[in-house]
Amino acid sequence: MTELLEVDGITAGYGDGPAILVGTTLSVQPGKVHCIIGPNGAGKSTLLKAIVGMLKVRQGDVRFNGESIVGLRPDQVLRKGICLVPQERALFPKMTVRENLRMGGYSLADKSDLERRIDRIEEQFPILKERRDQHAGTMSGGQQQTLAMARTMILKPQIVMLDEPSLGLAPKIVAEVFEIMRAMAADGITILLVEQNALMGLKHADWGVVLDLGRTLFEGPAKEVLADPRIQELYLGGKRAA
Amino acid sequence: MADILQILILGLALGGVYALMGSGLSLVFGVMRIVNLAHPSLIMVGAYVAYWAFKLYGVDPMISLPIATVILGAIGVLLYKLIFEREARSAKYSEMTVLLTFALAMVVEGALGTAFTNTQRVTSPGYATDAFFIADIFIPKGQLYAGIVSLTLITFLALFMKYSRFGNAIRATTQNREAAELLGVNVNLVGLVSFAIGIALAGAAGALVSFILSFFPAKHWEWIAILMSLVVLGGMGSILGTVLAAYILSVVAAFVGFYFGATWSTLTFFVALFVVLLVRPQGLFGEKPELA
Repeated sequence: MTELLEVDGITAGYGDGPAILVGTTLSVQPGKVHCIIGPNGAGKSTLLKAIVGMLKVRQGDVRFNGESIVGLRPDQVLRKGICLVPQERALFPKMTVRENLRMGGYSLADKSDLERRIDRIEEQFPILKERRDQHAGTMSGGQQQTLAMARTMILKPQIVMLDEPSLGLAPKIVAEVFEIMRAMAADGITILLVEQNALMGLKHADWGVVLDLGRTLFEGPAKEVLADPRIQELYLGGKRAA
Repeated sequence: MADILQILILGLALGGVYALMGSGLSLVFGVMRIVNLAHPSLIMVGAYVAYWAFKLYGVDPMISLPIATVILGAIGVLLYKLIFEREARSAKYSEMTVLLTFALAMVVEGALGTAFTNTQRVTSPGYATDAFFIADIFIPKGQLYAGIVSLTLITFLALFMKYSRFGNAIRATTQNREAAELLGVNVNLVGLVSFAIGIALAGAAGALVSFILSFFPAKHWEWIAILMSLVVLGGMGSILGTVLAAYILSVVAAFVGFYFGATWSTLTFFVALFVVLLVRPQGLFGEKPELA
């Protein structure tokens, strides 16, 4: 199978600080939901930031559709078709829901095309139409996460990377968020999910990647990773609340 | 009753000018987290532009206002490129800018003093000393015009921020820099442009201030204290908050001045600052400080 995104032994860290990622390797298959798990400080979020160019890649290469994207700015990576929904506050709390969606298509030149795309998103997510003129920051956590994810779809990206979408949400809402994610995958968008909540993340993924101390420990079909005794012992600690 | 109406009108007219003086400061803090202590010293530069344009060439301050705006906007671009851009990613940026802008304010003050001496100046177009009379109420033309022009400029700024694509990018960057960058906003350009707009507004405010208040190079220290109280009351970085705070406080200050004497009127701003920090440190429209 051809790889859509290939992270090839990269080293990266914050500013002049120590390297958080040390030779991390990852391959992303088109159309699948990939879940990266690992303990705190394993470098999961750092990896996503390095891919989109928010952090400088010091060594190694990142290839998207076979082309190196190392050294590109976040807006350039976005234009290539990779979209990152950062952890927690991905929204503009004092802008309306509609304005937030419009910012999602900031890089589009054609304004009427943008409005059409937003209308389509609103049809798909009626709650966003209902709340259109409300400030994003006044919505519930689940609705905010819905907006953040829906907003990425305006650009019709090839890859959407979600950094801990379940953070701070009630279990029932988390299930809804993962449903949206599955719907995006069904639309043909490749998903790269980072989850602290490993059990929950792997359940909704096709492929699991285990990261620790900036290195890829092992990977495989999500079900196998979930059942792997190493994972049970190391990261899930037997019983982690799902 | 006539007294009250009279004081209200004077307070509102001056409030408009304070609002314009503060909105640039608020914009620059909101987007770039720059605490620009040099803002009033740059207003002072705008005041001198208007003063000399009138004194030497007889140009009305209303005409030299756009000139002062453009000159200060250009100075803003230079300052940003020379001083503020290079450290923008530093973790202690806001703290550093306090020192940087403090030094900048002293440099500007020194340069103005050297060039133009420390004499008190005021631009004196005819309307500056004229007034309208409606029954018993008198409305000084200078303050009225300055208040109206300020309000007009602030309205334009608000419309630009709310409805233009770039204005939305500025607001987005203010609220969540990282998310804006990830959506393709060139946050460096947003920083540069909003800094330039902020300083350009200082130029406009300077032209207006030049005929309603007398000024000399060191007077900006008095203004920074007032402007900081507006920004804090409004909520750091909220332009709407700063504008409202300017109107509220300058009306209150006008009443305090009338009933307790002019000496006490400036104190209004500091008492307000003190009370806000005690009771509602996030100001009218600011975010609650996060504990995490």
